[in-house]
Amino acid sequence: MVKKLFMLLALSIGVFAENAYERNCVPCHRELPTDLQGMFKNYLLVYSGEETVKAALRHYMRYPSKHISVMSDLFIDTYGIKETLQISDQELKEAIDLYWEKYKVFGKLN
Amino acid sequence: MSALKNRATSSLLKSETKSLQRFLSLYILLVMMVISTLGVLYYQAHKELMLSAQRAELVKYAYIQTKRLKVLHHFFDDQRTYPRDPRFRSAIYDIEYKEIFSLLKNRSVDFTQEIYLKDGVIHFVKSMDIFYLGAKYLILEIEDDGAWHKHLIKKILGYGTAAFFLFLFFGYFLAKLFVKPMRDSIMLLDRFIKDTTHELNTPLSAILANIEMMDTDVMVEKNRKKLNRINIAAKTVSILYQDLTYLTLEQERENENEKIDIAELLYDRIEYFKVLVESKALDYEMDINHAEIVMDRRKLTRVIDNLLSNAIKYNKRKGIVGIRLREGSLEIWDTGVGIPEEKRAFIFDRYRRFNESEGGFGIGLSIVKRILDEYGIRIEVFSEKDKGTRMVLKW
Ligand code: HEC
Repeated sequence: MVKKLFMLLALSIGVFAENAYERNCVPCHRELPTDLQGMFKNYLLVYSGEETVKAALRHYMRYPSKHISVMSDLFIDTYGIKETLQISDQELKEAIDLYWEKYKVFGKLN
Repeated sequence: MSALKNRATSSLLKSETKSLQRFLSLYILLVMMVISTLGVLYYQAHKELMLSAQRAELVKYAYIQTKRLKVLHHFFDDQRTYPRDPRFRSAIYDIEYKEIFSLLKNRSVDFTQEIYLKDGVIHFVKSMDIFYLGAKYLILEIEDDGAWHKHLIKKILGYGTAAFFLFLFFGYFLAKLFVKPMRDSIMLLDRFIKDTTHELNTPLSAILANIEMMDTDVMVEKNRKKLNRINIAAKTVSILYQDLTYLTLEQERENENEKIDIAELLYDRIEYFKVLVESKALDYEMDINHAEIVMDRRKLTRVIDNLLSNAIKYNKRKGIVGIRLREGSLEIWDTGVGIPEEKRAFIFDRYRRFNESEGGFGIGLSIVKRILDEYGIRIEVFSEKDKGTRMVLKW
């Protein structure tokens, strides 16, 4: 019993130690040839500003579609459209915020 | 005749000056407004021209900078150095107008204009089609040395003042045209008066002389009254005649200044107006001390005659004519209708009467004023409606 509890604790610590972005996005994307940064830059190319980019991301994660994808047709044809993300709104928002913070251009140029 | 013409043209009426002033100030205001509006428009047009000349260059720079941003976008995050160019400074903003990176000296950017001048720099705002690094707006900045501005201001001021004086010159003629009808009618009246005056002399003298010569003792009471009335009428005409002659002929005569006992002259004129005073049942209130002045006797007589005859003419029946003489001042007052406030400023204008119901050409007071001005004598007018008027001379 005590052993089980300890294991649960250890597991939950392990799970919660990673943030929402690393937990939800990174593992699945590891397999893809275009990394998450490349995809982020594609979003910048099309959506520019922070709010716009985040709104577009939120939308795409819920309703992925070939028509609104920022990836090339070749890429989509090869890897297919992603599945709808099954995580809570709160979790998704956190993940996207972290994603933005990680790759944003603001404050990085000199 | 030519002397008459000169007199009429050289002396502007007060009302004439006033309307002239009004016209001129309105005209100048209008001209200044037009010129400054044109100046501003000209300035703006030139500024536009200067900016469009710069624009061609800036479009080229923007193209180059966009290419550099494209490269940076692809190698970002490994490369983080923003592309710089010695020919201009630049900045990038995202679609939410947030500054991504900026090298601008003047950080306040107006995104509604494509090109504009502000605080000594020119900003060129390029809206991008592809948002490299998330940049929707690329802003280029170049220094403006202001040479064109100085040159333009100088030009505008130069041409502006030239145009202003040209218009002023033009306005002068316009103003002359403006007062011409007024002056023409005054001159016509002047000429008419001069011609008629001549013809009046002989019959008037005859009438007055004959009245004096008549033996009133042998007359019936009824006839004596009638004669009296004729006398009054003749004297009124005579005053007018003297004014007219003074105005048309004697005015140009050299002054014959002498020391005059004013009291003596006053009594003489009071005696002359006796019949007029009696006919209106007026009373004199005299407070006459001895006083002297050096003046042309005929001119002083014109002044006293006019002031007295006004005090009588505009008085009410059984009113009072007051005379007060001191060394250095003479007051003549009445208990008549008074002069309305708004007309007080014009009573010394020629051909104006302050009370339209009474006769007279209105030249009397203008003569008085002219004579007083000549001798540096001040005149003050105090008047209260229905109470009376008080004229005070001081020398
Ligand atoms: C189940 C696997 C999976 C997970 C989890 C996942 N992705 Fe993806 N993602 C994909 C695949 C596959 C594609 C490529 C197909 C596509 O673009 O629809 C993709 C595409 C994208 C794109 C490009 C979208 C476009 O317009 O084509 C972005 C951005 C992205 N993912 C971000 C994220 C973020 C952020 C998360 C975490 C909240 C996340 N992904 C989680 C599989 C995943």
